[in-house]
Amino acid sequence: MLVRPNPWRSTTTRVVASYGLFFVAWALLLVLLIYWEVSNRLSDEAEHQLKERAEYFAAMDPPLLRDRLQAMYDFDLLHINAYGLFDAQGHAVAGHIVKPPQGLRLDGESHLYKVPADGGSPGSVRILAVRLPDGEQLLLARDAGLIDRIHELILRAVMWGLSLTIVPGIVCGILLSVRPLRRIREIQDCSDRIVAGSLDERLPVSRRGDELDMLAGIVNRMLDEMERLMLEVKSVCDNIAHELRTPLTHLRTALYRIEQQTTADDPRLAPIERAVAETDDLLARFSALLRISELQDEHRRAAFAPVDLAEVLEQVHGLYEPLAEEKSIRLQLEVTPLQPVRGDRLLLVEAFSNLVANAIKFTPEGGQVTVRAAQEPAGPRIDVQDTGPGIAPEHRRIVFDRFYRIDRSHASPGFGLGLSLVEAIVRLHNFQVEVGDPPAGACLTVRCWPPSPAAAAAQA
Amino acid sequence: MPRILTIEDDAETAQEIIAELRGRGCAVDWVTTAREGLIKAVGDSYDLITLDRMLPDRDGLAVVTTMREVGVHTPVLMISALSDVDERVRGLRAGGDDYLTKPFAPDEMSARVEVLLRRRSPAYHVTVLRVDDLELDLIARTARRGEITLELLPTEFKLLEVMMRHSGQVLTRMMLFETVWGFHFDPGTNVVNVHMSRLRKKVDPPGKTPLIRTVRGSGYILEAGAC
Repeated sequence: MLVRPNPWRSTTTRVVASYGLFFVAWALLLVLLIYWEVSNRLSDEAEHQLKERAEYFAAMDPPLLRDRLQAMYDFDLLHINAYGLFDAQGHAVAGHIVKPPQGLRLDGESHLYKVPADGGSPGSVRILAVRLPDGEQLLLARDAGLIDRIHELILRAVMWGLSLTIVPGIVCGILLSVRPLRRIREIQDCSDRIVAGSLDERLPVSRRGDELDMLAGIVNRMLDEMERLMLEVKSVCDNIAHELRTPLTHLRTALYRIEQQTTADDPRLAPIERAVAETDDLLARFSALLRISELQDEHRRAAFAPVDLAEVLEQVHGLYEPLAEEKSIRLQLEVTPLQPVRGDRLLLVEAFSNLVANAIKFTPEGGQVTVRAAQEPAGPRIDVQDTGPGIAPEHRRIVFDRFYRIDRSHASPGFGLGLSLVEAIVRLHNFQVEVGDPPAGACLTVRCWPPSPAAAAAQA
Repeated sequence: MPRILTIEDDAETAQEIIAELRGRGCAVDWVTTAREGLIKAVGDSYDLITLDRMLPDRDGLAVVTTMREVGVHTPVLMISALSDVDERVRGLRAGGDDYLTKPFAPDEMSARVEVLLRRRSPAYHVTVLRVDDLELDLIARTARRGEITLELLPTEFKLLEVMMRHSGQVLTRMMLFETVWGFHFDPGTNVVNVHMSRLRKKVDPPGKTPLIRTVRGSGYILEAGAC
């Protein structure tokens, strides 16, 4: 089963997608690492500074402490530091902080607290609180919002980064896969044609010399070799048929001369006549073989012209009607108006003659052969249905093989080339022929339109 | 005695043609090249030429074309190893009168030669054909055997017309299939036979002298009673 190209399944898309994913993950990791390092570093620094100050102020005399505190924080140009001094009862004595935050711990270590800021949204503040020797509480605070802002910044950077990586990544992936997919489609169309019989076709190779070209080159070399071998086999077959025809003709001539010289009452006449007939049969077999071989020549398509199949079928009907009548078989023709098809009229007559002759051959006396033609949306469809023994499902595919005969006893005349010839003609026209599955008898159907690629592949 | 020129480079085929035609009372000259053939065809007067399609020095098609250009209208039977229908069409278009594929049965070849020889007779352009008491009116499309009007289907009419035009000549099944139906494939021996037997039932009713005869191994002949 062939897979139609799908942009989501192409190798390029997959490579680009996994590469993009890997890239995004790696960038994310890097950003997180930087964020983690920076925030750690900033926290450490803030904590360190707060501790240093706390130690420094704690060791001071209380009267001096207030001046020093004020002086130090006046010089804080960035306004990221604040302090508060509370008496033992918790009343604010000095500083910017008027009320200690809830759950304040007086352990001399710095902790992060969420406090309502002026703007409204809560900011985080690092606060270190100590109890001074005189019982007062000293709160030293440092704005931790910087880390929040860095956090925000990095988050935003990551979001932007992601969208800037993923969206162009997907677009690029699709764009990059369009070209190879188009080429795959070309290769598929081309191989469909090869499968359908044009063995001289080769896969397209561009000048880029990429992987697809390398692959196409390999397949083309293989096709060259296959074509060479097939031509060799074909020419050997043709040569055998051709070379044997001449001596057979001489044999037939010799037999014919004897036949002419034999009087009607001579008992040797019957065997001689049989010998002539057998030789004629052999010659007809070789002719049919060579004819099938000729039909594989695609150049014949150049001479195709519009053909009215209804007319063709009427001619075939006229040709075989007496033969059917002799066997008391009703040869019925049911034709609705048909659109003309492009083809070789004589070859189509030959193909349908063979189908009808075949049907008559396998239909017992008193039976019926029906040739039914109807216009379908894709083209005319012709059924040749008989009331004979039918074709078993396991034979339905191989009946078209050369020399294949269902009746192995060779009790019925013919040599198993008729349907091969039909198939060769049908194939030349790019039509389809197949054995149907009727409730009784056999039904051969010719569909006068090109097979779908999947059907063509299945047939080959 | 009809004079026939055989242009054929293959000695074996040539011997076969010569033996068969001499056996039928023809005088046969044989040349092996297109050049010699052209000189003889133009300089001498022959009743028929058999021409190989592929000669060592020139294409048989070119020989016919040249002959026709210089005004030689001798009937030409093209004989070729190329069996393709297209080849046949090409041969006839170039000016050949009939086309036979190698290898051929000698009787098939001589039957075709006979027909081509007869084709020169003026009787080809008549409108009523008569053989014995059988009469075929080509304008009114009616057939009569003595007093009886024959009811013929279009194919039967055509078949009878061809038989009567070539009365006294053997027509092979292949020739009949080609001329009457215009097809060139092998329909199976029975098909022509069955059409012929239908026609014979109408043309040769019981009590009348049969006009159509089967020629053993070859085909059919239509001729007046005493033969």
